[in-house]
Amino acid sequence: MDELFGVSMTVIASVCVIITALILLAVAIVAWRNPVMFKNGLRNIPRRKSQTTLIVIGLMLSTVIITAAFGTGDTLTHSVTNEAYTIFGPVDEFVVWDVKNHPAPENQQVIPLDQAAKWEEQLKQAVSVKAVVPFLGSTMPVLDTRTRLNDAKSFVVASPAEDLDKLGGLKDIHGQAVTLGPGEIALNAALVDKLDARVGDKVQVFYHGQPTDVTVKAIVPNTMFGGTNDTVNREGAALNFDFMSGITGKHGVVDILAISNDGTTRGGLNRTDEVSAAMDKILHGTTFKTLKIKQDTVHQAQLFGNIFTTLFITIGLFAIAAGILLIFLIFVMLAAERKPEMGMARAVGAKRRQIVESFLAEGMGYDLGSAIVGLIVGVGVAALMVYFVKLSIGDNLGLNLQFSVAARSLVTAFCIGVITTFIVVFLASWRASRINIVAAIRDLPETHRTNPEDATWRGYLRGTMNGFVAFGVAIISFFAAIHFSQLAPIFILAAISGIAGPWLPMLRNSNFGAPSSDRKQGDHLPRWPWIVGILTAVIGVGIVMLVGYFLALLVVRLTRERPRHTLSVPLKLVGTLISPVGLVLSALQERGRQVAWSVGLGTTGLALGILMIQWAYDAERAWLFFTGVSLILLWAAVTLRYFRIRERLSFTVTSALLLLVWYLGGANKLTWLTGGNMKGGVELFFLSGLTMVVAGTFIVVYNADIVLPFLARFGSRFGRIMPAVKTAVAYPLTSRFRTGLTFGMIGLIMFVLSMEAALNTNISKTFATKEVLGGYNVRVQYSDNNLSSGIEKDLTTANAKLPAAERVDVSKIEAVGETRTVAGDQMTIRNPRATSQEWKHYILTGADSGFISSNQLPLAHRAAGYASDAAIWQAVASNRDFAIIPDGLTGGGGFGGPVNDPLTLPSDYVKDGFQPFQLEVRGSDGKVTDLTVIGQTKSSAANFWPGIIVSQDNLLSIFPQAQGQEFYLRLAPGVNAGRYAKNVEATLVATSADSLQKIIDDNQAISRAFLNLFEGFLALGLIVGIAALGVIAFRAVVERRQQIGMLRAIGYQRRMVMLSFLMESGFIAISGIVLGLALGLTFAWSLLSSGNVGTDTGGVSYTVPWAQVGAVTAFALIASLLMTWLPARAASKVPIAEALRYE
Amino acid sequence: MTQDSSIPAAEIVIEAHDVDKIYDTGTVRTHALRKVSLSVPRGEMLAIMGPSGCGKTTLLNCLSGLDDFDGGVVLINGTDISRMADDRKTEFRARDMGFVFQTYNLLPVLSAVENVELPLIVSGMRPKIAREKALSSLDRVHLRDQANNRPAQLSGGQRQRVTIARALVNRPAIIWADEPTGALDSATATEIMDLIVELNEAEHQTCVIVTHDPKVAARCHRTIHMADGVIERENTQAEMAAVALGGN
Repeated sequence: MDELFGVSMTVIASVCVIITALILLAVAIVAWRNPVMFKNGLRNIPRRKSQTTLIVIGLMLSTVIITAAFGTGDTLTHSVTNEAYTIFGPVDEFVVWDVKNHPAPENQQVIPLDQAAKWEEQLKQAVSVKAVVPFLGSTMPVLDTRTRLNDAKSFVVASPAEDLDKLGGLKDIHGQAVTLGPGEIALNAALVDKLDARVGDKVQVFYHGQPTDVTVKAIVPNTMFGGTNDTVNREGAALNFDFMSGITGKHGVVDILAISNDGTTRGGLNRTDEVSAAMDKILHGTTFKTLKIKQDTVHQAQLFGNIFTTLFITIGLFAIAAGILLIFLIFVMLAAERKPEMGMARAVGAKRRQIVESFLAEGMGYDLGSAIVGLIVGVGVAALMVYFVKLSIGDNLGLNLQFSVAARSLVTAFCIGVITTFIVVFLASWRASRINIVAAIRDLPETHRTNPEDATWRGYLRGTMNGFVAFGVAIISFFAAIHFSQLAPIFILAAISGIAGPWLPMLRNSNFGAPSSDRKQGDHLPRWPWIVGILTAVIGVGIVMLVGYFLALLVVRLTRERPRHTLSVPLKLVGTLISPVGLVLSALQERGRQVAWSVGLGTTGLALGILMIQWAYDAERAWLFFTGVSLILLWAAVTLRYFRIRERLSFTVTSALLLLVWYLGGANKLTWLTGGNMKGGVELFFLSGLTMVVAGTFIVVYNADIVLPFLARFGSRFGRIMPAVKTAVAYPLTSRFRTGLTFGMIGLIMFVLSMEAALNTNISKTFATKEVLGGYNVRVQYSDNNLSSGIEKDLTTANAKLPAAERVDVSKIEAVGETRTVAGDQMTIRNPRATSQEWKHYILTGADSGFISSNQLPLAHRAAGYASDAAIWQAVASNRDFAIIPDGLTGGGGFGGPVNDPLTLPSDYVKDGFQPFQLEVRGSDGKVTDLTVIGQTKSSAANFWPGIIVSQDNLLSIFPQAQGQEFYLRLAPGVNAGRYAKNVEATLVATSADSLQKIIDDNQAISRAFLNLFEGFLALGLIVGIAALGVIAFRAVVERRQQIGMLRAIGYQRRMVMLSFLMESGFIAISGIVLGLALGLTFAWSLLSSGNVGTDTGGVSYTVPWAQVGAVTAFALIASLLMTWLPARAASKVPIAEALRYE
Repeated sequence: MTQDSSIPAAEIVIEAHDVDKIYDTGTVRTHALRKVSLSVPRGEMLAIMGPSGCGKTTLLNCLSGLDDFDGGVVLINGTDISRMADDRKTEFRARDMGFVFQTYNLLPVLSAVENVELPLIVSGMRPKIAREKALSSLDRVHLRDQANNRPAQLSGGQRQRVTIARALVNRPAIIWADEPTGALDSATATEIMDLIVELNEAEHQTCVIVTHDPKVAARCHRTIHMADGVIERENTQAEMAAVALGGN
C-alpha cells in the first residue's frame, strides 16, 4: 500500500513523524521546565488501575482501527505483489502485437523470429538486458482424457529450450529441470488442480477445434514459463516449441517476446522504464508495442491494496469519529475528577499554563501507552481480518494471502494515534484550566459571568463578527479558493486576516482600543477608529448586499434551470472585506468583553452553508447541498437559543427539520430544490449518519425526561427497584453533554450497521429475483480461438461421437441467446452534447436475434414512443443504430450511487418516456459510430450483461474481430441447470459452462463475506461507545459516592446499587441502539423504496434484517452491561460510613 | 465507659459493649474507638460531642450499622447487629432507622417527595401508599408545598427538613443525625433543632445526634463527650444548657 486518499504514504508518514516528534519535544520541554506539575500529572495515572485500563482501551481504539486498515491493505498489496513476482519471475516486459491500434486476426498477430533477433540486438545495444526470450502463447481448451475434466481457457506457451535456459529454464514444482519433447506437455499447478491430472495422463489440447494428444510430462509451478500470465486466471501449460509451432501453424514466428532486465527479480523492476523506452523507440512505426507487464501487475497490486485500505479507513471513519468523541469525553471526565486538585494548585499560585501542562503530562502518559497497545491490538485485528478473508473467500480471490504489515504503516498508525489524542487532550486541558478556583476546590458547579449583551442584537452582531474573524473566513476562504481558483489570490488576503483572528483575545488584552485614561504610559492613541469609520460603511453595504444577493440567489435557483458557474461580485466583495474589517472591529473591542462564540460559530456555519449550497448547484454534488442545509439549520438552532427561545424547543424543532431534510433527500423528494441533477457518492452515507444521529441525539436528550412521568405512573410494576429505575433515567439527563456524546457514539455505529445490513439484505433480494437471470439458466463461454457458429449444432455434432448415456439432451433447451462482447480497453464512448468531450472506456455487447427475442430482462426506463420492453428489444434488432444502455451508465442512484457518470445526462433522460438520445462509440481503429439510446436496463442486469447492448450485426460491423462469445440457454422446467452445465462443458471441450444461479450465489457469498468483514470492522466502533459507558460509570461512582452511601444507609441493598448503575448504562445503551436502529432502518427504507440506491429496489418489499440487527443489538447491550459491571460492582462495595464522609 | 444504670434493661434501645474500631491503611493504624460502652433508652435524645477526630461519627456509624467494627457488641432493640449479614443489616436500617446528615445527601435528580419516599419503596411498600406517607412526612416538617421541587430548588434549611422527613417517613425507632445543623446558619439551625425536639416529643423516637454545637447538645436529654476514641464524660441537659449559655 503506497497511497491513501491519493496521497503518498511516504509523505503521510513523514508528516506524521515530524508532528509526533514536535509533540514529544514540546512535552519534553514541559517536563524540563515544570518537573513538579509534570510529575503530578504522571502520578495520577496509576492511582485508579481499572479506570486507567479503561482509558487506555478507549484511547487506543482509533489507533487499532487505523492499524487494522493499514494492515489489511498491506497484506493485500504484499500478497498480490508477491504473486506478480512469482508469476513473472525474471521477465519484466513483453513485446506484443498492438491489437488496440492495429486490429488483426489472431493468427496475424505474430512476430517473425528473424525480426525478434534484430530487435534483441538493437535493444542490447541501447540498454543492458539479461535476455530476450521468444514465446508462442495461445488460449486453448485442455481435456484430461482420464478424468474427463477440461479447462476451456488455459494459456499454453512454448519457448525454444536454449532461450529459456538463459532465464533458468523450465523447472517442475520440485525444482527439477524439465525438457519437453514433441507430444509432451507440462501442466501448471492450477491446471492440474482443475483437471485433477497427474504425470503420465493423456490430455488433449484444442486449437481451432482440432484436438492434439499429448502426455503430461511434469507439473510446473504457476509461472510465466508454465503458462500463467495473470494473477486471476492462472491455468496454463507448456509445450515443446517446435511441437506447438506445428499445432498452431506458426512457423518461424512467435506471439510474445519476453524481456528480462538486468538485476534480480525485484530489482530488475527499477529498470523497466528505461528498457521499455528503449524498446518502444525500436518498435516505433511498427504494429507492436512494449508491455511493462511486471511493473503494471505490481502497480495494480498496490492499487488494489490502496483501494482496500481507503475503503476500510472510510468505513472506520465512523469508529474513528466516535473514538475522538470518546477521547474528549474521557478527558472531560478526568478534568472533572482533578478539579479540586487543580483548584488547589491554582489557589497556591499555579498558572493556567501549568495546569494545562500537568494535565497534558497525564494525557500524554495515557496517549503513548495507548498508542503502543493500540498498535499491537491493531496488528492482531488485521491478522484476524486476513484470516477471516482467507477462510471465507480466499479461494475465490485467487490469492495466496500472506499477512504483512509494513513498518511505514505501523509508524504512521502510531503517529496518527498520538497526534489525534494529543490534540483532543490539549483542548480538554485548556478547557479544564479555565476553572473558578473556589468552585473547583469545593467541587461546586462552575459559575459563569453574565454577558450584559446576552440575547441582544448587539451581542449577536459582536458574536458574528468575532466568529467570522476567528474561524469563519479561514474556512470559507479555503473552500472558496479551492472552488473558485481564479479568485484564490483575493481570498488569501481574507484568509490571512481570518487566521489572525484567534490572536485577537491577545490583542484585546493589550491596551488597544482602551480609553486613553486606561492606557499605559507611552501608548499612542489608536488610529483604528479612522479605519473603522471608513470600513464600517463598506461592511454595512456588504452585509446588505450579502443578504440581498442570497435572497436573489434562492429565487434564481428555484426558478432557473441552468446553474451559475461564477461567484457574484457582491459575494467577492463581502468575502474579501469581512475578515479585515472584522479584525479591526474585534481589536477595538473593550477589554474582557464577553463574546457569544456559539453565535460566531453558528453564523460562520450559515455563511459556509450558503456557499456550499451554491457550490452544490454548480458542481451537482449532493453532499455539498446536504451539508449546507445542515449548517443553516444548526445556525437556526444556535440563534434561537441565543435569543432565549427554550433550548428544548429550538433544538428539537431544528433537529426534526434536519431529519426531515435527510429523509426527503433520501426519498428523492427534494428534486424541486436540488434540481434533480445532484449526484451522491459514498460520502453521503457518512454525512447522513453523522448529521441524522446528531439530530436524533438532540431530540432524545432534550426530550427523554418526558418518559419520567410515565415511569412514575407505571411505578408499581417495578416494585422496590422503582427508585433505581428512576435514577437510572434521571441521572443521565442531568449531564446532557456526556450522555449525548455516548448516546451519539452508540447511535452512530448502530445507524451505519443497521442501514448497511438493511440495504444489503434488500439489494441482495433483487438478485434473488429471476429478473437478474434474464430468463436463462446456463451460460456457455467459448474460448477465443474456438468460436462457434451455434451451440445447438455443436452439441448435436459432439453427441454423435458419444455413447447415449453421456450425451447432452438438446431437446431440453427451450431458448438460446448469443452475445459477443468487446472489452472496455478496446472501445470508448462519449455523449456528444456533454460539456466534457473525453472518451470513456466502456463495454459493448452484441446480441443476436435469439437473445433479443428470448431474453426476459426488464428495462428500467423506456424511451418515449415505446409501449413495452419487447418493442424496445425488437427495435434494437431491426435498427442497427439503436442501443440499450445499463442504468449505471447514466450515473443513476442519486444517493450514494456512482459519482462517475460517463454520459453526464440531465435527469430528463433518466426516467421513463425519455427522448431517445445519441451516443458516440469509437472502436480501436478510431472509427466513430453513432448509436441511439432507446432503453435502459435495470442495475441487476449488469451482472451478466454490463455493457451497452446493440444487435450483433451492429457489433460486428464496428468490431469485425469481436470475440467474447457467450451462449445463454433457457432450459425446460425441472432440468438441473448445474448438472446440465457440467454436461455441456464435458461435451464441448472448448467451452466453460455454468449455472447462472450458481454464479449469482457464489458472487453473493463473496460479497456477503466482505460485508460481514466490513460490519465486523465497523463494530469496532461499538466498542468505542461501550467503553464510553464504562468511563461514565466509573466517573459516576466517584461523583455519587456520598449519594451511594446515603442510599445504602437508608436501606438500598448492594445489588440494588449495582442494578441502578447497570440500568443507567442500559438506559443510555438502549436509547442509543434504538435511535441508531430507528434512523438506520427507516432511512434505508426511504432510500430503497425511492429506488435511490439502484433501480431494482423500488418494487421489492422491504425486509428488516432482524437476525443481524438482533445480534448486533444483543452484543451492544450485553457488552455495555459487562463494561459497566466493574464500576457498578465498585459502587455496590462502597463502604457506607466512608462514603458519607467523602467529599 | 459511663452509663446510666438506673434505666431498666427493657427500655434500652441501643446498647454498646466494648466497641473497638481501628482504621488500618497499611502504613498508618488509628484506634478510632477504644472499648466504648454505652446505653441509650427509648425516647432519649443523646448528643455526642468532642473535638475533631475524637471518634464521634465513627461511633455513630458503628452503632447504626453503617460501619463494621473490630471488637465488642452493639445491640439494637436487643438484636446484635455485628452478627447480621449485610443484606439483613440493610433491611434493618430501612425498617428501624432514620438518618440525617450534615450534607443532606439528597438525590439531586429526584424531587423532595421522591427523596422522602425512597426508604419506603426500597423496603417494598406500594408506591401509592409510600407517596401518601412521604407527603404526610413532608407535612410534618412543613414542606408539603415544596414536595415537587428538586433539592437544587430548595434552601439549605429546607433541604435538611427534607432529610428529616426522609428519616421519619418509616417511623423508625432511632434517628441518627450526624451534624444535622453543621451546614446551616444559626437561625435555621435553631429551627431544625426545634423540629427534631418537637418530633421527638410527639413520636418518642430515640435520637442520637453528633454535634460540635453546645446549643444543639443543650436541646438533648443527655450529652456524652468523647476524646481519643473513648467516652470521657457525660452531661445532663441542664448542665449543657449552662454550657451553652456560657458560650454565649
